Amino acid sequence: MELQASKAQAVPVPSVWRFTPLGLLLVICLILPWLASPLWIRIATEVLMWAGLAQSWNIIGGYTGYLCFGHGAFFGLGSYVTGLMMVKLGWPFGIGLLFSGILASLLAVIIGYPTLRLRGAYFAIATWAFGEMVRQIATILDVTGGAFGLQLPSFLNLRYFYYVMLAVTGLTYLTTYFLLERARFGYKLLAIREHEEAAEMVGVDTVSIKMKAFALSAFFPGVLGGIYAYWVTYIHPDSVLGAQLTDFMVVMAFLGGIGSLWGPFLGAVVVQLVQRILWLFWGEGTFYLVIIGAAICAVVLFIPNGLIGLMESRFLSPREAVSQLRKTFKW
Amino acid sequence: MLIDGLLIGGLIIVVGIGFSLCFGVMHIVDFAVGEWVMLGAYTGYIMVRYFGYDPMIYLPIIFLIFCGVGWMIYPLIYRAVSGKRHNPVIMGLVFTFGLSILAKGGALSVWGYHIQSITTWLSGKSISIGVLTIPALRFAGFVFGILVTILFMIFLYKTKFGIIIRATAQDRDTANLLGADVRKIGGLVYSLYAGVTGMSGVLIGTLFSIHAAMGAKYCTLAFFVVVLAGMGYVPGVIIAALVLGLLQSFVGVYIGGRYTLVALFMVMYGVLLITPKGILRRGI
Repeated sequence: MELQASKAQAVPVPSVWRFTPLGLLLVICLILPWLASPLWIRIATEVLMWAGLAQSWNIIGGYTGYLCFGHGAFFGLGSYVTGLMMVKLGWPFGIGLLFSGILASLLAVIIGYPTLRLRGAYFAIATWAFGEMVRQIATILDVTGGAFGLQLPSFLNLRYFYYVMLAVTGLTYLTTYFLLERARFGYKLLAIREHEEAAEMVGVDTVSIKMKAFALSAFFPGVLGGIYAYWVTYIHPDSVLGAQLTDFMVVMAFLGGIGSLWGPFLGAVVVQLVQRILWLFWGEGTFYLVIIGAAICAVVLFIPNGLIGLMESRFLSPREAVSQLRKTFKW
Repeated sequence: MLIDGLLIGGLIIVVGIGFSLCFGVMHIVDFAVGEWVMLGAYTGYIMVRYFGYDPMIYLPIIFLIFCGVGWMIYPLIYRAVSGKRHNPVIMGLVFTFGLSILAKGGALSVWGYHIQSITTWLSGKSISIGVLTIPALRFAGFVFGILVTILFMIFLYKTKFGIIIRATAQDRDTANLLGADVRKIGGLVYSLYAGVTGMSGVLIGTLFSIHAAMGAKYCTLAFFVVVLAGMGYVPGVIIAALVLGLLQSFVGVYIGGRYTLVALFMVMYGVLLITPKGILRRGI
């Protein structure tokens, strides 16, 4: 417990050298669309979107310790709000995005108020039920086009969507850095994750803090959902509200390392690249699910801090690994 | 319609009891419950295809196979929920979630999206009781469900081991202090649960179509039943399964078939918000 808290506080003083890798990453991200082929621009846009989604899940799932299995609902709400505003009302894309984010946050506040009282497994199941409920409602309603989906006006400019996605995902990471890693707000969230009663004892207003975190973590999926809708131009309850959306957010955040700034980014890059590379070489397949499922099990069992934690820790010697396995199976 | 719902309820009870017991004893929410059903159904399908005979005679064998699989997986789950983790429940949840992705992906890769079905000597026959005519297979599934439930109840309430299991479900730490080997009991419960769920998977496979993505549906039903019953409270599962059958038939007849799932999730969400301990307020 103390270890986690001190780790979060012990961010070393920023120096020029510390920001070199970050600057390099930024430069690569900025010039990528002028070097890569359209296929790779698409893949990079996808990676960015997932990085943003995984990070926004991480705000509530990783930092606050409330496992939300219904986060896909906010993404779906965002894409439908943007889609409907552009199609039915004829409003510009940007305003649609803003509304998507705000409405997603509002929804998070409304459902968060009763749901955040639940803890652990109960919260996970309740949010899962909520997410599925939203999907079923979108399938039934007429305004969303029901099971036939919704067609948006098409605007085919890959670089435009790449940069919009980059901007929003960048904003997600900046918000996480400044609000969660660098401010008291983040410490309060960590306190809630580690011991909620104790946090309340020392004066953290847990109810409002949890609500704020939930609303914040719902804002970005809403906006990203709006961009996604305009990017792919056709949305359907299964594609923007499906269970795989939430699944992937959870998987990426866990694989990369929950409760860390760069974990979800790493997880999103790894998962999305594995999926796309398998797809490029062997065609449309489902084998990536096997790899991802096995990876998530292995992460939970052996490196609970995720890939980012693996980088910081030393590797086990073969002998230690065998003894660990032996302990697990009681050989 | 009403009778139909109740008859399928028998199988859901079996799945729900194992699931609920699992949560009570180990505090694990098994997201892979639907995948056990799916794997059971496929195992039954493969056995019938390669060895012939009727799927009913394979039930005990499938039970044993899945018990074995559960027994082998359990140490991993135990590792996930114990040790120096600061959030064991969440780790267990994510681990079984990973298992379910693994099983679903494996099944999709091996068998693809084709839809299969198992036929038995009961398929197509029906039994008439009074004015009602019931398909024999549904009736068999119902009888199976009731039988397994009764056996489970006898095991839980009349044997010494069952008493230990119930004690562990009530209070893990105290049971541990009084000399119950919680780890071993957890392993036993998990393997029993896997075996029973796999076995009901075969029957579900004979009733409905088998495909690799079928797990989600049974996952929903099992979660619904267990949430309504109160997580970890075993007898409540029977009542909750009855409610499920009634709700499905009612919504299907009076409101429309496409609203059934919305109603299920709404009720589940509502129950969790209003009485997280289930409609009987007996869960943990």
